[in-house]
Amino acid sequence: MAIRRKGVIAGLALVLVAATALAACSKNQTPGSSGSLKCGAGTGQKATGDPIKLGAIATKQPGTDFTDIPNAAKAFFDCVNDNGGINGRPIDYTIETEQTDPAQAAAAAKKLIETDKVLGIVGNTSIIECAVNHTYYEQQGFYIIDSGIAPECYSTPNSAPVNMGPRYSVDGATQYLLRQNVKKLVLDQSNVPGTEYIEGGFLLIAQNAGIPTASLKDDVPIQDANSVALRLVQAAGDGGGVVLNFTPPEALKILQAAEAQGLEDSVKWACSTPCNTDFLANALGPSWNGKLGVNAELNLTTASGPDSQQYRDVLKKYAPDLAIGSFSQMGFVEAKIAVAALMSVQGDFTAQSVNDAIKNVKNFQTDILCKPWYYGTAPLHLPNNTDRTVVPQDGVMVQKEDCFAISDLDPAIKQVRDIEAAG
Amino acid sequence: MLGFPNDWHEYLPFIVTGLALGGVYGLSGVGMVVLYRTTGVLNLAFGAIGGMGAFIAWSLINDSDWPDWLAYVACVAFGAAVSFAYGMLMGPPLAGRDPLVKSAATLGLALILLGAMSWIWSDKARSMRLLTSQWRYKVLGTQINWTQIIALALGVFVTVATSVFLRRTGLGTAMRALASDREITATLGVPVRRVEAATWLVSGALAGASGLLLSNLVGMDAATLTFLVISSLAATLIARVRSLVVTLVAAMVIGLVSAVITTNFDLAPYRNMTPFVLAAVALLFLARHQQISFARRYQ
Amino acid sequence: MTSSLPRSPLPSLPSWARPVVAPAVLVAALLAGSPLLSAYWILSLTSVAIYSVVALGLGLLMGRVGLVSLGQIAVLALGAWVAARLAFATSLPYELILLITGLITMVLGTLVGLPALRLSGLYLALITLMLAGAITIVLTNTNFPNGGPGFLGHQELFTGDPPVRRPEIATTDEAYFRYAVIVAALMFALVWWHVRSRPGRAWAAMRQSEPAALSAGVNITTYKLWAWALASFVTGVAGALLAASVSKLYTFQFPTIDSIALLAVVLMGGIYNLWGAVVAGALMKLLPALLKYWGAPADLLLILFGVGVLQVLLTAPGGLAQQFPRDMARLGAGLLALTRRLARGGAAS
Repeated sequence: MAIRRKGVIAGLALVLVAATALAACSKNQTPGSSGSLKCGAGTGQKATGDPIKLGAIATKQPGTDFTDIPNAAKAFFDCVNDNGGINGRPIDYTIETEQTDPAQAAAAAKKLIETDKVLGIVGNTSIIECAVNHTYYEQQGFYIIDSGIAPECYSTPNSAPVNMGPRYSVDGATQYLLRQNVKKLVLDQSNVPGTEYIEGGFLLIAQNAGIPTASLKDDVPIQDANSVALRLVQAAGDGGGVVLNFTPPEALKILQAAEAQGLEDSVKWACSTPCNTDFLANALGPSWNGKLGVNAELNLTTASGPDSQQYRDVLKKYAPDLAIGSFSQMGFVEAKIAVAALMSVQGDFTAQSVNDAIKNVKNFQTDILCKPWYYGTAPLHLPNNTDRTVVPQDGVMVQKEDCFAISDLDPAIKQVRDIEAAG
Repeated sequence: MLGFPNDWHEYLPFIVTGLALGGVYGLSGVGMVVLYRTTGVLNLAFGAIGGMGAFIAWSLINDSDWPDWLAYVACVAFGAAVSFAYGMLMGPPLAGRDPLVKSAATLGLALILLGAMSWIWSDKARSMRLLTSQWRYKVLGTQINWTQIIALALGVFVTVATSVFLRRTGLGTAMRALASDREITATLGVPVRRVEAATWLVSGALAGASGLLLSNLVGMDAATLTFLVISSLAATLIARVRSLVVTLVAAMVIGLVSAVITTNFDLAPYRNMTPFVLAAVALLFLARHQQISFARRYQ
Repeated sequence: MTSSLPRSPLPSLPSWARPVVAPAVLVAALLAGSPLLSAYWILSLTSVAIYSVVALGLGLLMGRVGLVSLGQIAVLALGAWVAARLAFATSLPYELILLITGLITMVLGTLVGLPALRLSGLYLALITLMLAGAITIVLTNTNFPNGGPGFLGHQELFTGDPPVRRPEIATTDEAYFRYAVIVAALMFALVWWHVRSRPGRAWAAMRQSEPAALSAGVNITTYKLWAWALASFVTGVAGALLAASVSKLYTFQFPTIDSIALLAVVLMGGIYNLWGAVVAGALMKLLPALLKYWGAPADLLLILFGVGVLQVLLTAPGGLAQQFPRDMARLGAGLLALTRRLARGGAAS
């Protein structure tokens, strides 16, 4: 019996080793770099002082992994720590993960603030975290810089995302399709809590243009992508347009099913931000060239601005295994904002002073976003409300439309523009 | 009619996708039934085995530049190898145990494979483009590709071939005898271990083939591929893990019904319940009249 | 045929120790809620207490009447839904909500169980898997109640759902942890009391041989249904505990894979011993927290559970709850022998 059991374990080990070896072959190479890398103060000196603690919470579970975002933030912090840190003090960054379990998400926030005693929270990206923890952050006086997913990330006072989330990204994709003169608009999204919230802006914008709509949802993971694709094309009809709001693997299933049935040209296709990844462009292949308009909340990863260049260099040096894409871009921008805030702190670093500094960030300029980013004391934060459209072209995403404003027919956007105008 | 389209032409493409999926469910179902009849194991890791095979094939094509067809063969071979290895290692020590225990053990294998898949391949979205999906035809205004045709044809062919094989050949007779009584079959001089080994191998190959087809027809996603086994399982349950033909027919019905329901906007969100509901109704209906038992010797 | 599952009749502890251990563990658990532990571990341990009760239900089914359910997490979700609905619709004290949720879940579970129990083991296991899948799909489409109107009680709110209220005496995390441990202990006591009295004796007889039990006048269907109803009741109560422990309920919390993972941890914990359920709860909810703490990948958990299932089914039918004390006893004996030998060696030289 003992021998047999060893056999089982040896067999399994063999399978694992073989599979890991296969996976190892798939690590991609990152292009482009420049000479010396200067982050933060740019002194080139390693920071050795008393560490300043920051933290983040991200979803990580089979099928959904958002840790690229805090890991990219960590890469930038590491670079800052190698360049004098924050006045000689390095940043000590703790990443907590949760598996879309509210108890875990709540526990992670309490661990960061009460046990680890972090001074600020930067880089949160979770399907449920904003909904679960926003009240706690408000009580604790923590101002979070995050990548938002849940509606609460965009509608509560203590969360300011660098992205603009599914609702406004769907708005942007809808505006793109309207510019393509579609006759009917169909929205299909994954059946998770918040679908009514997301479809709100889509319906307003389409109705204002006098275009008929249909709003559908599908359980994920999708088990019958062929039927889903067919149904979308039938619902949109001749000259119609389809907006998808899914995670990349699910959107890919639908788009490939459409391709398998020759439906690429039957309607105009558009997608909210998650589709903006070169993996998707690569997986889609050349028959989709220029045919899928993807709303892009951030600049192309290949853009030439100084921050885009620094982003690629930091990843190459400090996190070579991390994929180049919108996720790591978001983490990079979030960390850069946090460092700018920390640099502005006068006197002692406390949770109070750090969060005041974060809250006071305004006119933060970067070529990765269309407009300067800001925090402030408004009841809701949507600093990223202007963005681009990209399309797949021979395996990568290329820009199709430059920065355009998300329609203020959506009331929250109107509210934010009024706040911005008031200054 | 209750939000369903009136023009029957609108159903055609859905019927095509439904039949293709049904064919693969049938293919898996037949593999599961044959294995169960011979070894008493209902292999709940069937989907996970095929899923892992598909991921390996993807890596071979995209990372190691293998020719596509060779990677397809590798996928099927992986299914056969894992299934065979599991059968050889776990089969004998569990041979005397109840079907429930034997089947629960395969859940262990499913968990291991699922964990390994999401560990190794969760870094990014992937998709399986089979060469056959690029060969398309237009029939009655509906696009049909060769993957769909192969899925349906393979399901039907394997069902028929297996039925004939079980009736006409020596090995088939031995397998049917094993299904009736393991001990008596052994005393009659049938090489029980060898027959079981062959069954594990063949059913694993079917798992690999199903996984490959599903990764294209449905998507490359570890959890989806692992749990799609439930649709095949429902078909085998409706057939009471006995008749191959009933399994295929039930699989077709499951594929068709869930595809056609997609056309109705109100019912569409509930379409994935099709296998559950059909299997539950069939079983509870059967259970009304008699005690259904997996105990093969007393039936 | 009746008890087809792995069986080990050996008790793990000497009889004198048994009455002492349970209260000791309970007191230790409650003391652990003291400032010794951070909020993180308190929340993790609350989950352990809740999932121990879920494991208790499945362990009862598997260990006592040889039934396997692959849908217990869906029952838990059902319990959470009912409790959330009641908490928003009424102002009943939470203790009553726990009780009513348990009873409603019990009735629903029994309605399903009544026809399903005629099916033999494997069929029953598979039909519960199917039903769990169906329940999950329905819940995905109805969402969990958040104080909205109508029967479903759900409305989309954009600025955050109100949390399911907690019992008045346990609004803080620490107090709620104690509350959950006490309720869990009551559920364990309830099941223990059943095992020790008439139904327990009937289950034991059925486990020996169903035909023999039948001829001795034991109504097999009644007692199977009894176990089924009891398991549904405690799982429903666990669902009600879960509803108030977190501020928002999601369908993602109840994936089908968790029902299978639950089977794995219950087998690993051991099904013939109520302690096994505590071990199972810890494996399910404390181990992930520990893995995270140690920086191990979360996917490792599934692999560990898979290996655990195979190992238990092959070699250790009693699960960890029996294996561990035995291993410890062996280790203790070994150490004792070693010290004796060393002492003797020392004396000889």
